Amino acid sequence: MMLEDELTVSTRERDGVAIIDLSGDVTTFAEEKINNAYREVTSKGARNVLLNFRQNDYINSAGIAILIGIVTEVTRNDQKLAVSGLSQHFQKIFRMVGLAQYAEIYQDEQEALAAFKARS
Amino acid sequence: MSGETPPREPVERVIELRLPSKLGYERVAMDTASSLARRMGFQPDRVESLKTAVSEAVTNAIEHGNEHDAAMKVVVLLTARADELIVDVSDQGRKPFDQSRAIRRPIIEEVLEQDDKGGWGIWLIRELMDEVEFSTALSGGNQIRMVIHLEQ
Repeated sequence: MMLEDELTVSTRERDGVAIIDLSGDVTTFAEEKINNAYREVTSKGARNVLLNFRQNDYINSAGIAILIGIVTEVTRNDQKLAVSGLSQHFQKIFRMVGLAQYAEIYQDEQEALAAFKARS
Repeated sequence: MSGETPPREPVERVIELRLPSKLGYERVAMDTASSLARRMGFQPDRVESLKTAVSEAVTNAIEHGNEHDAAMKVVVLLTARADELIVDVSDQGRKPFDQSRAIRRPIIEEVLEQDDKGGWGIWLIRELMDEVEFSTALSGGNQIRMVIHLEQ
């Protein structure tokens, strides 16, 4: 029974932004994949990082802890972080937790890329 | 109804799940609660809040209460009433629930400095549900009761 490890993480670059696509559930099983993807784009010199989620996926408190870990690294490495593709519910959760103070929330990839462009 | 004992819920309104203490099974509880709540008429955003709360409560029971021992069960009772849904989650209490965690609100500025970035689960449950109560069963297990009201 597939009850774990249901996350696909991939990276790509667009308009000077390193995009980490997250497709699936962000839980404790996601830690290595997300951290590896982040290290990969950082080692390539990414200044702008976008975590691009897929609507309706499941993020739990362990997943939130992983994302807070990314925020710590982003601050340390002086990068800019944004998130896109979150459902209304998880946008709310990100605001409640305080993650929104460290990562701008955009509806979709296009909106996030336009915002990065305007800021640069 | 007698005045001595509280009325029992009609059995057809109670769903009982007995889940192995293995991460991933919290989704079964989450999906069941979601399905029931939608049928009861809860709005989509409330169903999402319920899903997160149920997932966090069951995950907590698996990880802390039963310490990942798959043979130990997490029992989830879903009771559908006309105006609310009650979710009781209980574990077998290998490790008693730390009551201080129930009242603490994590502060992200502090969490960013800590090695442990977790501890959001109980706080999220309290924020998302209308009523939350923690107790200890006679057997020593931890119990959490969460109530979400159906707004008409």
